[in-house]
Amino acid sequence: MRALIVLVSVSLSVLLTACSNPRQEVTVQLANDVLLPAHQQWRDSNAALVDAVEAYCTAPQASVGDLETAFYQAQSRWSHLQPLMVGPLSEGNRSWQVQFWPDKRNMVVRQTESLLDETDSLTGEQLEKASVVVQGLTAFEYVLFDQSVALAEKHDRYCPLLTGIARHQLALSESVLALWNEPGGMLAQLRDFPNERYATADEGLAAILRTQITGVDVLKKKLGTPMGRLNQGVAQPYQAEAWRSRQSIENLQASLQGAQAVWERVRSLVSDAALVKDIDQAYADVANQLAALPAPLMELVQAPQHSETLTTLYAALDNLENRQQTELARNLNIQIGFNANDGD
Amino acid sequence: MPLTRRKLLGAGAAMAGLAALGGWSLWTGTAGESPLLLSARNDDDGQHYAVGYYLNGKRAFATPVPERCHAVARHPFLPVALYVGRRPARESYLIDLRDGRLLQTLHSQPDRHFYGHAVFHARGEWLYTTENDTREPGRGVLGRYQLDRAALQLVHDGEATTHGVGPHELAWMPDGESLVIGNGGIRTEGGSREEMNLGAMAPSLVIMSRHGELISKETLADAQSSIRHLDVAADGTVITGQQYHGPAYNSVPLLAIKRPGEAYQPFPVSRTQLAMMDQYTASIAIHSEQRQVAMTAPRGNRFFIWDLDSGDTLLDAPMSDCAGVGAVPGGFAVTSGQGKCRYYDSRTAEVQSQWLELPGGWWDNHLWLS
Repeated sequence: MRALIVLVSVSLSVLLTACSNPRQEVTVQLANDVLLPAHQQWRDSNAALVDAVEAYCTAPQASVGDLETAFYQAQSRWSHLQPLMVGPLSEGNRSWQVQFWPDKRNMVVRQTESLLDETDSLTGEQLEKASVVVQGLTAFEYVLFDQSVALAEKHDRYCPLLTGIARHQLALSESVLALWNEPGGMLAQLRDFPNERYATADEGLAAILRTQITGVDVLKKKLGTPMGRLNQGVAQPYQAEAWRSRQSIENLQASLQGAQAVWERVRSLVSDAALVKDIDQAYADVANQLAALPAPLMELVQAPQHSETLTTLYAALDNLENRQQTELARNLNIQIGFNANDGD
Repeated sequence: MPLTRRKLLGAGAAMAGLAALGGWSLWTGTAGESPLLLSARNDDDGQHYAVGYYLNGKRAFATPVPERCHAVARHPFLPVALYVGRRPARESYLIDLRDGRLLQTLHSQPDRHFYGHAVFHARGEWLYTTENDTREPGRGVLGRYQLDRAALQLVHDGEATTHGVGPHELAWMPDGESLVIGNGGIRTEGGSREEMNLGAMAPSLVIMSRHGELISKETLADAQSSIRHLDVAADGTVITGQQYHGPAYNSVPLLAIKRPGEAYQPFPVSRTQLAMMDQYTASIAIHSEQRQVAMTAPRGNRFFIWDLDSGDTLLDAPMSDCAGVGAVPGGFAVTSGQGKCRYYDSRTAEVQSQWLELPGGWWDNHLWLS
């Protein structure tokens, strides 16, 4: 239910200057050229995943290679989207339906197998009623890549689940996209101010930046958790995101590119040339180090000779986060968080 | 507990003869026509303030204070209010609402810290706070302070148990003599905000006399739902807001209701709305005249208004880092930690929103409107 917005704070002068407001221009550009396309690409990758699953599961002799490629793409688009998911996807527990990470207690395996044990041939309806633990890409990855599953020999058991997850992801992404595109939806709320969600373009821009900075913080967690930073330095390889598909580093790269797409648009608003140079360099440092990693993350964290490399990468991510969270936020006069992050 | 201006005017007029500072007439002389909003607030540099703003945007005062505050306890008729230190604060600040002057820095007792909430008794002599016994971390304490009206100083007088662990918000029941207290159920040590017992929480809703006697103690089904914030309707209906400390993807009730004479139980909220709250509720305000309850969910960036009796949703709207909410004539005023503050006119089914000309952002979790 929506409130009827009474636009009492809009004066004629605001309307006249809105078109020449650089912050509003950047906000609109971000919405049109970065955020919405990222959501559309995520949706498209889910459609391709549905096609690939149906092809694989209806042709028992089909190669699993095409399905793996479609999965990598869907996971990559989701990773790219995470620093950009301001609005509907970040609300209502929706993102948990896409991916269940971290999975500290190996719940994905237990709940997936338990669900399949309880049902002869899983229906879409049954999956919709099941826990988010089994609805997303993490359960899909388990079935596709975990050696204990032996998918090729157990199509009957696992194909209904793979099909159900892919269709669930497609339906979820289409519903989120609809919330962006509907009249008065998220796209309009990042274009026409004031609106039900934001009083000014500044509030919209701040929300985008907060999401992006949170996304960079999540990158630190995705690297730091398997490194053992939360576990007295004892490596946790099976806590790495996407360890089964060995795509942890590729996912980090996709997320970094998503975050950087925001920075590329925001850069013009920053008044401090030295800060712009520093943040550009911070992105380049992280990207270069990620590109130079020689093996999957779950292997690197277990190899002492790579410890220093990972520690340096973590420091580079930390530097990027700090530059944006403190210096960039201050320069743009953007609040990063208050009650939501530090309430009571 | 937020009061409508109408209610406070009534209380103030009744108690005017007791006012040491000239009482109600002096207060109304400075109040003007616009309700006064009292809240804790920060600035861009992280400095903490005790502030008062009229809802028309005019600043009454902004007093720098050393500790971040949480909620505000307004005196029933004198122009003073206690800005209560946020846990684990050992200071709260008594402020002169006419000019923002700091009248007293109230220090917690040895082995005690404040939990962020307090209330003045209607006769104006006593103040009650929720406190932590740091020798026995989490043991809930109801601190009792007497107001020296001549000196305008609060003096610690004693304490009672809150009959629970980790008390947070407290409010008066309609008799004005008994208190309802949300015992959050979480143990924290002195000087720390770190939860020590998330696997063995013991939240409870307690109604007790202000002198300490337990009247009722009730719990919810899920022990990881910390009962923290609440408000009381004129008929004694209590609404509480919970913060869930279990897995983020679970769906558990985050609002509960205790109607007079009935058991404490979940307030009917849809799973969709629960999911939008991100397991965290911040402020609760009841509009007794309109029989409505409002709630802020700053992690979900969501603000809600429901019909108190039917549970029907009147408003479910996005609002960045929505913080304090209070009842005002016609609806609710809501502050934000990150954006502009709003007024929602909820007199009709078509709730209308209006931006308030208050400074945007940095408003803390609670407000008091008078």
